Amino acid sequence: MSLDPRRGAVFAALLVVFMPGGLASQVDNSQQVQIEAGRKKAQYCSGCHGADGNSELTDYPILAGQTTRYTYLQLKDYKSGRRTDDMMNAVAARLEKQDMVDLAAYYAAQRPKGPRFQAGEASLPFKPDPARVDAGRKKSDEVLCTMCHLGEFAGQNEVPRAAGQHPEYVIKELKAFKTGARTNDAGTMSSVSKTLSDEDIVNLAHYLASL
Amino acid sequence: MIASNQDRKRFLSWGMVLASLALTGSCATMSGGGKESAAAAAPAQSHEVRSVSQQMLNAAADDENNWIHPNKDYTQTRYSKAAQINTGNVAKLRPAFVFQTAVVESMETSPIVVDGVMFLTTSYDHVYAADAATGQELWHYKHPMGSTTTFCCGPNNRGVAVAGNKLFLGTLDAKLVALDSKTGKPIWTADVADPEKGYSETMAPAVIDGKVLIGTNGGEYGIRGFVKAYDAETGKLLWTFYTIPDRGSEGVWATADLTGRDMHRNIAAEKAQLAKGRKFEATLGGGVWMTPAVDLKSRTIFFVVGNPSPDLYGAERPGDNLYTDAMVAVDLDSGAYKWHSQYIAHDVWDLDAASPPILVDAKDKDGNVIPAVIHGGKTGHVYVHDRKDGKLIRFSEAMVPQEGVWTLPTPQGARMALGANGGVEWSPMAFSPKTNFAYAVNLIQPMTYHVEATAYPDGKLWLGGAFKTIPTEPQTGNVTAVDVNTGKIAWQAKTDQPMIGGISATGGDLVFAGEGNGLFKAYDAKTGKVLWSFQCGAGVNAPPVTYIVDGKQYVAVAAGGNTQINFKRGNSVFVFALPE
Repeated sequence: MSLDPRRGAVFAALLVVFMPGGLASQVDNSQQVQIEAGRKKAQYCSGCHGADGNSELTDYPILAGQTTRYTYLQLKDYKSGRRTDDMMNAVAARLEKQDMVDLAAYYAAQRPKGPRFQAGEASLPFKPDPARVDAGRKKSDEVLCTMCHLGEFAGQNEVPRAAGQHPEYVIKELKAFKTGARTNDAGTMSSVSKTLSDEDIVNLAHYLASL
Repeated sequence: MIASNQDRKRFLSWGMVLASLALTGSCATMSGGGKESAAAAAPAQSHEVRSVSQQMLNAAADDENNWIHPNKDYTQTRYSKAAQINTGNVAKLRPAFVFQTAVVESMETSPIVVDGVMFLTTSYDHVYAADAATGQELWHYKHPMGSTTTFCCGPNNRGVAVAGNKLFLGTLDAKLVALDSKTGKPIWTADVADPEKGYSETMAPAVIDGKVLIGTNGGEYGIRGFVKAYDAETGKLLWTFYTIPDRGSEGVWATADLTGRDMHRNIAAEKAQLAKGRKFEATLGGGVWMTPAVDLKSRTIFFVVGNPSPDLYGAERPGDNLYTDAMVAVDLDSGAYKWHSQYIAHDVWDLDAASPPILVDAKDKDGNVIPAVIHGGKTGHVYVHDRKDGKLIRFSEAMVPQEGVWTLPTPQGARMALGANGGVEWSPMAFSPKTNFAYAVNLIQPMTYHVEATAYPDGKLWLGGAFKTIPTEPQTGNVTAVDVNTGKIAWQAKTDQPMIGGISATGGDLVFAGEGNGLFKAYDAKTGKVLWSFQCGAGVNAPPVTYIVDGKQYVAVAAGGNTQINFKRGNSVFVFALPE
């Protein structure tokens, strides 16, 4: 596993230089180039987030299928310190804008394989509790989650896909919003989570895992 | 049976195509690539795409065959004189065909119909042309979306505008695209604004005398709103009117809303904040979500401006936040300001103005009939203004509960019976000159309003808090008819669902509106009695249209559900007619 993200950047730079026709004018081509560059760069991330963005460490988010805009902005926020996490701040500090674009494009192009529980070798597919799923759905309707997260929590633009995410990670983040430990949401999630009980948060995590 | 009918039609139309080719002597084109020509000709069955002249656009109110403006005509009445389908026979209305698109997501399109051809749009900016009598697809355009889009409330599109041989489409990546109406091929594309900063387009533009008028979404992102005019031929920008003025957005420090209710503003604190000299105009919001109305005589356009940014946190945007939450009149030719009338100064509830203005003749306070302009507010009032200076003549009785108005948002949430979606959301109203009623669809969603102090986040959703529904309180809706001459509610029909999508009225004394539960209903325009309904299988949350092809009247409406209220998604336009 490569531990130097800059190697990826060099590779991407070479690709850019030797790609016939340039990047700016051809959208599809440039997206494909980004995805391929991102694939190389993502090797560094695979230890925690999985080779294809399907992490087996359940407190690390599944990045496969995430919207490009969300992943890009989160990396930017880790770099600037708007979002804090010891490991991610250190990683993002070394990323340039193009690295973030490429990584976001790569993960968006991967297929999410569904939530799991228990980390590492003991990891198993997560089986949501039907009663909690139902309670989570009701809470989601009440709080108007899908007005921003889109139907079935598919995500759009800078608002993340939350469908099929690891419950452990969802609970961790909702609590971080609630306590003010995470504030890079421009206030919306802070405000939404303020009135969620711990029970609501667990129910929402089961509901999201069911999607 | 259906197949055999279609085969017969195809056979007939092939005969016509061959005959016309022979007559015009254009057989030579066949020899170059017979297969290609045949494929290109095949879709043109009984109806071909025709050009739309300015005269047709000007006379659209009297044209019962076509629906060539997003809201029927420049005055935006959504009223068609067509009366074949009427209170006496509407009970027999049944589907003529269903046009299925490839996109299963929120549909808010108001189809355009020109001489038997329908142009409709879907979420993510697809455009289809279809035969408006058979549903046969003529062409399909899929906008090549840019890599960055930033938009609130669903990947919607509310329709195209048409003029000459062009259609005009606003896109989620904040572009304005001119398409060839015969082929669906793009002719020019203009960058309206930067999607990185939260600009996007979902509205149907207006087009008049070679100008395409388009506003912007983005009040949830800290944009600076505008209406822009583009040259219809070239896509060149002609003028821009910013909905946030360079100076003077603080206004008159209004303490009451336009209906006279105290808004509990802390004017002293706002003035102190203003004195600090911190600039906020570039991120003050003021989107223009819906198509402007055009007064041909005075060459004035009328539109309403959306909420200030951030929606719920007002401390760092002192003043009235002009021209947010206001109706604005602007000179058509220059974009110069004429007047404004603000409904809510310094809004902290997202109770902005979205539903498109309608130009009507209405009685002033002395009983004289004058040119007026009306708007259905998220507040649940219909406002009637004098068209020449914007002065409020009257506002209607409240169409929805008003408990707790104007309770200030708190971090833990403060309740108002008036929800942040309205009242009347973006949903266009209709106006019938036969009844002098304005018809509105309303949401009833009691909510708690939560404020959260937040700095400008540079392209991320920026609400400054949140609003939430209340689990113990039912959410419903209604269809309401308001007499514009008195402001009194003439009738009100309750619905099981909050209503979003719009309404249309006809010379057959009918109004048509759909619901989130899939029901599409016809009401008696005079009494509100439900005369007919049909279950479309997905949320009917789009404005209906009606038109006549080959002497037969049709009613069309999209059933694609809705992102904002999370109504069941679909992908279809349903078209109804009376049986032979």
